[in-house]
Amino acid sequence: MVIRLEEVVKVYRLGRVEVRALSGISLEIPRGEYVSIMGPSGSGKSTLMNLIGALDRPTSGRVYIDGVDISGLNDDQLALLRRKKVGFVFQQFNLIGKLTALENVALPMWFAGIPRAARMRRAKELLELVGLGERLHHKPAELSGGERQRVAIARALANDPEIILADEPTGNLDTSSGMAVIELLEELNRLGKTLVVVTHDLDFGRRARMRVKLRDGMVREVER
Amino acid sequence: MLEYLRFSLRNLSHHKLRSFLTLLGVIIGIMAVVSMISIGSGMKASLKEQLEQLGSDKVFILPRIAYGTAAATLTDGDAEAIGRVPGVAFVSPLYSVAGDVTYRNERRIVKIYGVDPEKAEATFGAGASGYRLLKGRWLQRGDRYKAVIGYGVHSDVFSRDVNVGNTILIHGVEFQVVGVFKKTGDREKDYTIYANLDVIREIFGVGDRVTLIIARAERGADIEEVRLRIERLLEDRKGSDENFFVMTQKEILERVGEAYRVVQVVFGGLAAVSLIVGAIGIANTMVMNVTERTREIGVLKATGASNAQVMKIFIADAALLGVAGGLAGVLLGVLISMGINAAAAHYLGEGVLTTTVTPALAAFALAFSLIIGVVAGIYPAYRAVKLDPVEALRA
Ligand SMILES: Nc1ncnc2c1ncn2[C@@H]1O[C@H](COP(=O)(O)OP(=O)(O)O)[C@@H](O)[C@H]1O
Ligand SMILES: [Mg+2]
Repeated sequence: MVIRLEEVVKVYRLGRVEVRALSGISLEIPRGEYVSIMGPSGSGKSTLMNLIGALDRPTSGRVYIDGVDISGLNDDQLALLRRKKVGFVFQQFNLIGKLTALENVALPMWFAGIPRAARMRRAKELLELVGLGERLHHKPAELSGGERQRVAIARALANDPEIILADEPTGNLDTSSGMAVIELLEELNRLGKTLVVVTHDLDFGRRARMRVKLRDGMVREVER
Repeated sequence: MLEYLRFSLRNLSHHKLRSFLTLLGVIIGIMAVVSMISIGSGMKASLKEQLEQLGSDKVFILPRIAYGTAAATLTDGDAEAIGRVPGVAFVSPLYSVAGDVTYRNERRIVKIYGVDPEKAEATFGAGASGYRLLKGRWLQRGDRYKAVIGYGVHSDVFSRDVNVGNTILIHGVEFQVVGVFKKTGDREKDYTIYANLDVIREIFGVGDRVTLIIARAERGADIEEVRLRIERLLEDRKGSDENFFVMTQKEILERVGEAYRVVQVVFGGLAAVSLIVGAIGIANTMVMNVTERTREIGVLKATGASNAQVMKIFIADAALLGVAGGLAGVLLGVLISMGINAAAAHYLGEGVLTTTVTPALAAFALAFSLIIGVVAGIYPAYRAVKLDPVEALRA
């Protein structure tokens, strides 16, 4: 299992108000699996993704990523884990506006300490892989939504992570570029990456081998 | 580190106007520091040079100028008495006055030195004190209505050049010009007319008064000892030495140094205030910057940036802001220094005051602004580090 959750609870505190985003989730995701996570808005999908991606720690319960329990890790150990094991793709693309496509893709490799020449070379290869070999020096604002998301996917691949986490990657895209993004992600899964996709789109969701349905911070159903 | 600067350069150029406004404090502060130090060292160098030209074996005796009290006076009698002090080789009394001087019907106010032709030669004559004759000769014993003029009087004061053989009127009395000095670069010397002490005093009706006595010590005499003896003598003759300065060149330099230190403290305070304002400005902009870039910080963290790396990114930003301000400040300081040199050359004469921004001074200023940037960046960078990545990405 590349990801294992045991009785995971996540509570957000806003002053005196407590929001229970996840209330006791147990889940196992095998290496190389293709998982979709569906559920109504507010059901805890993004919270779950953040935990799987070592971006946050659970309030209680355990989250194992590649055998390591993240609940006991400090900030820098979490950062290291994200850097090596996880590639995020967000609905909002979250590219850095003042950097070119090439520089955005090279960013995670900078944090990993890869020399400039090597990371620029790999960033270029990755952009070619996602079909943006002609857009290397464009800033995000000069790219279409579909192109931006493909830059984000290339960035997610930068440090060759085990796991790709995509939280509503097609949410801001039209149908055809959304489809292209999903196909690109599936291609990565075929190449061996564990792929977890949050989606509202039933058609996209159905394509996954393993389908997790959430409601009110709990797993309602797992289909295989 | 280069990588962090490369990244920061993007942020700086992204917000040019705001960056500039933020940096005004640092720019002004560094500019003040740079121009203060360059002017100060230039002033010190030129005063030192002037005094060195006068020689280190001389004691200067002059009345203290005190407002509201009757000005103390020195007379020929004092000069003679000082001349008899053991260790004094000879004294050169001087009477200086600003008087009306007419040449070809043009009337100007010019500084006049009444000097004793015989004794003055050793003090003011060829070779000493930077005076060199351009034309003609120095005053001689028995010269009464003869004058030697500085280069400025020769070439600049009147619309036509005054030359050897020409006649000028000092306070209505005719004098024949017998010599012209070369340019010394010292405005005081270049714009002065030198004539017989007794004649000048007669014309201005000041009896046996002198305004400055220069006593030259014998070779090998202890100059400080000689100075003390002169001071005691004046005390005896005048009842008190309070009204007189009795100074060696070293003491004059020390006094100049003191005055300079006061200037330094004032300018330094000014610079310190603007640099503090500058640092606060940078810190403020950086806090704003961190707030605006919350989402970006989330992205940096999501893509694997450690706390130390986030810290460095924002410190580098602030450091770059500081250095940019420092660079602008140094450039402005250089311009001010150049402007002062040009003005000094025009109004005071060539070579009187030369300020320079040395590479070491520029490097110091830049290093200083770098430190200001880094210090100002610590708190904002810490805020960036403390941001929760999940919260940051939701921003
Ligand atoms: N950082 C947070 N602070 C406070 N409440 C949060 C935070 N993140 C999520 N929540 C709340 O937790 C619940 C689950 O949110 P989320 O995981 O974003 O749901 P989904 O992605 O399925 O729409 C929601 O009620 C949301 O308002
Ligand atoms: Mg969500």
